[in-house]
Amino acid sequence: MAIFRSRKYIFSKGLDPFFSGVQSAYSFTALFFKEAFKRPFHFREVLNQSFEVGLKSLPLITLTGFIIGIVFTKQSRPSLEDFGATSWLPSLIGIAIVRALGPLVTALICAGKVGSSIGAELGSMKVTEQIDAMEVSAINPFKYLVVTRVLATTITLPVLAMYCSFVGLYGSYVNVHSEEAVSLVTYYQSAFSSISFLDIFTSVSKATIYGFTIGIVGSYKGFNATQGTRGVGKAANQAVVLSMFLIFLEELIIVQVANWIRYF
Amino acid sequence: MNESPNRRAILVGFFVILGIIFFIGGILMVGNLHETFKNKMEVVALFDDVNGLQKGNNVWFSGVKIGTVSNLHFYGKSQVEVLIKIDTKTQQYIRKDAMVKISSDGIIGNKILIIYGGTSTSPEVQEGDTLGVEKTFSTEDMINTLQENNKNILAITNDFKVISKSLAAGEGTIGKLLKDDAVYANINATTASLQLASAKAQALVASLADFSANLNKKGTLANELTTDTIVFKSVKASVRQLQQMADTASAFIANLKQAGTNPNSPFGVLLRDEATGTHLKETIKNLESSSQKLDEDLKAAQSSFLLKGYFRKKAKTEAIETPEK
Repeated sequence: MAIFRSRKYIFSKGLDPFFSGVQSAYSFTALFFKEAFKRPFHFREVLNQSFEVGLKSLPLITLTGFIIGIVFTKQSRPSLEDFGATSWLPSLIGIAIVRALGPLVTALICAGKVGSSIGAELGSMKVTEQIDAMEVSAINPFKYLVVTRVLATTITLPVLAMYCSFVGLYGSYVNVHSEEAVSLVTYYQSAFSSISFLDIFTSVSKATIYGFTIGIVGSYKGFNATQGTRGVGKAANQAVVLSMFLIFLEELIIVQVANWIRYF
Repeated sequence: MNESPNRRAILVGFFVILGIIFFIGGILMVGNLHETFKNKMEVVALFDDVNGLQKGNNVWFSGVKIGTVSNLHFYGKSQVEVLIKIDTKTQQYIRKDAMVKISSDGIIGNKILIIYGGTSTSPEVQEGDTLGVEKTFSTEDMINTLQENNKNILAITNDFKVISKSLAAGEGTIGKLLKDDAVYANINATTASLQLASAKAQALVASLADFSANLNKKGTLANELTTDTIVFKSVKASVRQLQQMADTASAFIANLKQAGTNPNSPFGVLLRDEATGTHLKETIKNLESSSQKLDEDLKAAQSSFLLKGYFRKKAKTEAIETPEK
């Protein structure tokens, strides 16, 4: 430690703020877990935020999931046609959407819509000193603003991801039905025949982690916004970018763990 | 001098990042750890054609994955040397005379190396050993063979097409057989005749069977004729005598015939002269009447006194001799 004391920068001018930010995020996350299990619990606010995050995202998720289903089916068909295996389309699409595309697409859309919204809202509250005013009014702003939002995104993301998967499969069914005249029941039976409990469990776990990431990143960036209105935009932008980056990183780790469990 | 709060935050952040990196690295590596810590040995195989085999492809033995292809490089003029890394636990099952062939994991799957065979008398494979290689047929070879087969089948079916057309038109021997009613009637009649002949042949065979059974039955004439040499000799002698008699009779008849043709001979006169025949008949009649008269005269003589004593004496002698008998 004596080495670091004698230097102006510990690592470099660029790295020091980065590591400082990491420590700040780490502390912020640790504080969330500390506050989340402490009374009082703001259930009504959690419900309100869930409505904002979940129900208001539903149209966008529906449209995106439907399009993803159609596009992925159209892209996969020629490859399977080469082997005369178009009957495997429902299984292929089922696995792809439930295991990966459903949670990932939902998380990316929510990162863009909800993450930026949380970042901007909390950022504006920070720069207008509303958060400081709450502290003065003996209201724990972290518990009321951050914990409720993070819990809302953590709860609603898995539900939205499952919904997105079903809608995506329906989109795929529309394409398959137009080519092969397969019934909806047959299509869903065929699609789910190759999906195991582990797939569903992994999908829900992924979506939960993505939800937590979106909420905590958006809240962190908003809660630490500076530099006035410019800082609000910056916080919203950084919330989206960092959320997306972390989502892909988590996807990589979760897939690895899931495969490890699958073939253990 | 105390460390400032900012410096402490930077260091904490650094260690958090370090922890995250180790965590992610550990997660990514954990799937391959069991492969990393396995003891492996390397063997070699030389192929003329590896059919797209790549570094990292799996190696199977008895359907179990036991290793991977660690490297490939050209060897000699055009051969490819394939380095195979296999788990040392399987070493005891692979023999030095085991063979290697290239196959695929399913119809469209990745290429795999299959180690197979090996005799129990051969020692275990060792590090650096070169395994024998079996040349396998590529998909292209199989398709070419199938193409040849298709051509042959096409030629055969074309021939059958011509034949069936002729049959349908009633041409040729078999075609007429199928279509012509007269041929059918002839065949029907022939069959009936054959059936009749067959029945007769059956009866004949039965008779022959009886006859042959009698031949084997001891004491019968047939059996003795065929088995007893003495009877056979006597029969042969009898036949010879009969032959001689027949010859004699033939000569006699020839003489009679010759005599009959000569009208001056006594036999010729008897056969041909009607007047002589008439005389002969009258003579016979006269002889009959003479013999009747002579008979009467003799009876009369027996009653005469001159001969009466002789006949009385004769009767007494016969009467005496009869009771003695």
